[in-house]
Amino acid sequence: MSVELVFLLIPMAGIIAAIILVAALVRRRR
Amino acid sequence: MNADALVSDYLGRLEAASWPLPPERRTELAGEVREHIEAALSEAGSRDEVTVRNVLERLGRPEEIVAGEAGAAPNAPVVSVNVGPSMGRVGAVEIAAILLLTLGAFLLPLIGPVIGLVFVWLSSAWSTRVKVIVTAIVLAVVIIPILGLLAARTM
Repeated sequence: MSVELVFLLIPMAGIIAAIILVAALVRRRR
Repeated sequence: MNADALVSDYLGRLEAASWPLPPERRTELAGEVREHIEAALSEAGSRDEVTVRNVLERLGRPEEIVAGEAGAAPNAPVVSVNVGPSMGRVGAVEIAAILLLTLGAFLLPLIGPVIGLVFVWLSSAWSTRVKVIVTAIVLAVVIIPILGLLAARTM
């Protein structure tokens, strides 16, 4: 596994995490 | 209507009225009320319709029980019940957490998301379940490739 791949995967995980967090906030506000 | 039908009708109304309460408190409250009814009925020594109606009447309307539970005045609408201290509220901590997980991951590849997770756990806007899921996703993606790199180097 290359270092570049690691540095690509981390932002992807961050974005998925952020989507889950935003979805949770939106669901709670309804 | 028989005694059991009256009790289940009452508990159904209680469940419907208790929607603003947190789920665990709803279950707890239903259990408490059910126990109370059973105790009152066994004390009365009869389960006929009149006794059950009397017991339920003494308990009060389900809406009043829920209002009392929520700390509101008995006849006040229950809609104003507070679900949590700051659940769902978006503030600086929440924005910082989301920015660090997204932009932070590009600007500070390893540190950014980790600090983002710290902010996620500091915030009270998310439930523990959501925090655990998000932490697991980020840590899995951070830890697994690092382990992969280490394994590749030792080969």
